[in-house]
Amino acid sequence: MKLQHYIGGIEGLEPSSFEKKVFVQPWEERIFGIHVAMMALSNHLEAVKSVPTKFSSFWTWGHLRQGAEGMNPFDYFKYRYYEKWLGGISGFFVESGYVTEEELKSKTDAYLANLLAPLPSGGEPAIDDQVIEYLRLGDSPACDVEVQPKFKVGDVVTVKNPPPVDHCKLPGYLRTKKGVVDEVYEGAYNYYFPTGDGVGDPMPIYNVVFDSHDIWDSITEPNTKIYVQIFEGYLEDPA
Amino acid sequence: MTENVDRETYSAARVRALESLLIEKEIITGETVDKVIEFFEKDMGPFNGARIVAKAWVDPAFKERLLADTPSAIAEMSFPRGMAGAEGENMMAVANTPEVHNLIVCTMCSCYPWPVLGLPPYWFKDPTFRARAIREPRKVLKEFGLDVAESVEVKVWDTSAQIRWFVLPERPEGTEDWTEEQLAAIVTPESMQGAAKVTVPAS
Repeated sequence: MKLQHYIGGIEGLEPSSFEKKVFVQPWEERIFGIHVAMMALSNHLEAVKSVPTKFSSFWTWGHLRQGAEGMNPFDYFKYRYYEKWLGGISGFFVESGYVTEEELKSKTDAYLANLLAPLPSGGEPAIDDQVIEYLRLGDSPACDVEVQPKFKVGDVVTVKNPPPVDHCKLPGYLRTKKGVVDEVYEGAYNYYFPTGDGVGDPMPIYNVVFDSHDIWDSITEPNTKIYVQIFEGYLEDPA
Repeated sequence: MTENVDRETYSAARVRALESLLIEKEIITGETVDKVIEFFEKDMGPFNGARIVAKAWVDPAFKERLLADTPSAIAEMSFPRGMAGAEGENMMAVANTPEVHNLIVCTMCSCYPWPVLGLPPYWFKDPTFRARAIREPRKVLKEFGLDVAESVEVKVWDTSAQIRWFVLPERPEGTEDWTEEQLAAIVTPESMQGAAKVTVPAS
């Protein structure tokens, strides 16, 4: 198993912090902006073909999450949210050959000597136009494909238990559990890339409802239902 | 020289180094990151969700449409272009009532309805919240200052595919003669994820 897929339900934790800030350090918004730009300039988007960026990679939420799910699971909990982004994204740019670790290190040292040293300026405005246009248009997983859903509202379904893959869309706590189809979403939905455990090609998605006691027995609360949207590839008829 | 530097200073320098190199190498421009941040300060943020909630409170027919077909109802209102854009491609609203309390969580990551709520706050991204809210939501909500009786059904929505949920909270008592604008001003991001109720601030 991969611990990152099994966060839901972990016991023995401290009270949750009700920190309402989006960014707790000013530097965090910079890595957020870089990630948005990468998604907006990803080579799978048709509009990007005419944009004068030197970025030529496929980059989506799926890629960011694959990085986080690929971390040593104990390290995963040592780093704050945007620290993981910084590690994953700078690692990607080095591994893909856009920058070298030496360049990054020497620039980091220069900024450590003077954090207020300015950033370079300039660049093609068409790049920024695409980034904002991406935010306005999105990148919908809905596909114009006819599919026949296997299940209907009210059906009891069992969640499959496929072996772990690099990136998974199935919360671990649901594996092998039985739920009831509450809604069949109209249409078909793909994922950015095949995950290797049954998701990727256009398929129906269901909203499945679980009684929390069917998942956690006595260590949950009364009168509690859990609703999860699940790709058809993760569901089967009860045995 | 990095051995003696504290963690935040190091990250600040490292991200600045990365941004600087990406600009030099013509991957992004000197303004890209600023423009992204500005987009979430001005165009897409919880101020949009608050207007939607306030309208639903004063207009029952709109509320019905919002719950039946969230994107179409939002499209009736005047917002900046992009309400079905990034992380808003498939939004759905669920309503809190005296009988049902909804709480949104994303146990695997941090999926959040950007056009109506902006970017996710730290409590929502916190692995501790993600671990606990799905199994003991009332206990977590109590720590956040919200008591949900056992007689009220709790529905926890784990965002694991295409839908980005947000909560239509209950309208607080004592606001019967308020305008939509006054109502929007008291709707918090936390209330639109089910982590708090909307309350009338003490004057």
